[in-house]
Amino acid sequence: MMSHACKAKQFLANESRVDWHNRTLWLVRQKRDRVAAAVPEWEHLREQAASIKKEALANLDVYLEQLETEATRNGVTVLWAKDAGEFNRIILHIIQKHGVKNIVKSKSMLTEECGLNPFLHDRGIEVVDTDLGERIIQFRKETPSHIVLPAIHLKKEEIGETFHEKLNTEKGASDPTYLTQAARRHLREKFLAADMALTGVNFAVAETGTVVVCTNEGNADMGVHAAPVQVHCMGIEKIVPKQDDLGIFTRLLARNATGQAVTTYTSHYRKPKPGGAMYIVIVDNGRSNYLGHPKYSDSLKCIRCGGCMNTCPVYRRSGGHSYGYVIPGPIGSILAPQKEAQKYRDLPFASSLCGSCSNVCPVKIAIHEQLYFWRQDLTQQKRTSFLKRFSMKVAGFLLSENTRYNLTGILVRWALRYLPHGLLYLPFNAWGRGRELPVPPRQSFKQWYEGRKKTKN
Amino acid sequence: MSKEEILASIRKRKGATVEVQNTVQIQASGWGGTELRKQFIENLKAAGAEVVCLKKEEVDPYIASTWENVLDFSQPEVMTEYTATCPLEKLNKIEQAVFRGNFGVAENGAIWLEDKDLPHRIAPFIAQHLIFKLDTNEIVATMQDAYRRMDLKDTGFGVFISGPSKTADIEQSLVYGAHGAKELTVCLT
Ligand code: SF4
Repeated sequence: MMSHACKAKQFLANESRVDWHNRTLWLVRQKRDRVAAAVPEWEHLREQAASIKKEALANLDVYLEQLETEATRNGVTVLWAKDAGEFNRIILHIIQKHGVKNIVKSKSMLTEECGLNPFLHDRGIEVVDTDLGERIIQFRKETPSHIVLPAIHLKKEEIGETFHEKLNTEKGASDPTYLTQAARRHLREKFLAADMALTGVNFAVAETGTVVVCTNEGNADMGVHAAPVQVHCMGIEKIVPKQDDLGIFTRLLARNATGQAVTTYTSHYRKPKPGGAMYIVIVDNGRSNYLGHPKYSDSLKCIRCGGCMNTCPVYRRSGGHSYGYVIPGPIGSILAPQKEAQKYRDLPFASSLCGSCSNVCPVKIAIHEQLYFWRQDLTQQKRTSFLKRFSMKVAGFLLSENTRYNLTGILVRWALRYLPHGLLYLPFNAWGRGRELPVPPRQSFKQWYEGRKKTKN
Repeated sequence: MSKEEILASIRKRKGATVEVQNTVQIQASGWGGTELRKQFIENLKAAGAEVVCLKKEEVDPYIASTWENVLDFSQPEVMTEYTATCPLEKLNKIEQAVFRGNFGVAENGAIWLEDKDLPHRIAPFIAQHLIFKLDTNEIVATMQDAYRRMDLKDTGFGVFISGPSKTADIEQSLVYGAHGAKELTVCLT
């Protein structure tokens, strides 16, 4: 796989787009700050949310079984999938059982993670993504570049071009209202013809057997209520124990995600519609491996608000696709190596470790600490590049002893001043790519300090 | 089979049980009636809704004189006409749909609807224009108060709606009317 740095370079080639991307996401972050500041108990809400999630994860087996019991009593079929393959087969089975022809889907990162669309496509079954951003990238055969704003990497002219091709909108038209209306007409037809609706799940309440889905567009509800069969797909970590817990999480989620006080629709599905069928599919797919893990278990608290992406200086300037994992940004960089450490070994390094992600996280995951832990683990496992490990070893040797340290300082100051540019910026100097090395001072701090002491005396 | 495997994996690894600490003290809960109403209206407007303040007896005449083919789902005739088995083509023709909201939430302008208010669950989403009737006395401060006020076990489906349907998926420009109602009007009494 191409490294994060290589793919970021491709994104950075278009400077004006990078600037726009960076600025736009920062605006979302600022909106988030404003609405968060308007809630005086904000920090308490974060504490409480983190605490609820921690407790829920510590008793996850109990709560999942409670959810199943309640849901079954409500006439819902609960199915369990241990991995992506089993999840996809379960969905296929439901499709076949009900003779489903037309499937509409609202946003679900889990189905992306499991590769459901391509799996069904290979079997001649098409799924229509109904979230506007997801429909756009589905038309373009791309993947989401952000978990809440899936088409944030695209400009309206590109979307206009795609819609012209797929929906026959006017050539060159790129007005967002015009394009949204075209999508509304197109997707309303799909909703009316749907015989199965798939959704993700934001929260599953063990106490009542309810699954909660939050959208602004209303696409989850249009699909779920139009189609006779509704299927809600959730990772095991989506559990909250009680109805009251929703009060905490719904106050945090939209504020932290997009800076709205709440999403337009917060929908609670508990029983099938009259004459309809309702399924909840509970998926593990590697999540339980990290439960109770001394370093990484906290990542399971994530409620997928996307806040850490909007604030991340690396994400904003490298784009979601540079990460190469279904969930990009800071949280993706700690989840990806849990899945496949070798494949995603460079992601924990795609960070400045500034800690901004942890500061905005509504469930208080110490994301930057986990990034740091991963760097250590991956290096110890010798998964990082030889050059990186070697240069760190050398640096460790030089910096750990007084004489070696002083000599290195003198040598480097001399080298930066007198060595030719070409020699300093040899290809193995990863730092020198895209950066100018600093002008060295004539003396080190130590020398200056010593000299200062002498003149004073 | 997989259920047992998943649960076994969870049991093997899950950490020690922890207590949930209750730390949240909600400032907004101290709000009086006027503050609740003011916040509710402000937040609804911020979410793109229109708010009309009326006396109780003015609501029905206002609705009847403002919109032509409006369907009022608080009327029994309408409830029996648009049942759960009503064809979608018929529901898709609804221009304006009126519902009586159970209660509203001041901090975000959300209004709660559940199965008993909805003959067909799709009605408030498929209508082009959504109209709520709501009593000022039925406003709570926060979502925490909201979840304490109702019981999810009373309904098969329930929804908080705050504003018209919207999207910003094209270059972050806000557009109303993504898939659900294009407009939302709240008649507050
Ligand atoms: S890690 Fe925290 S900030 Fe990032 S998406 Fe998850 S909940 Fe949101």
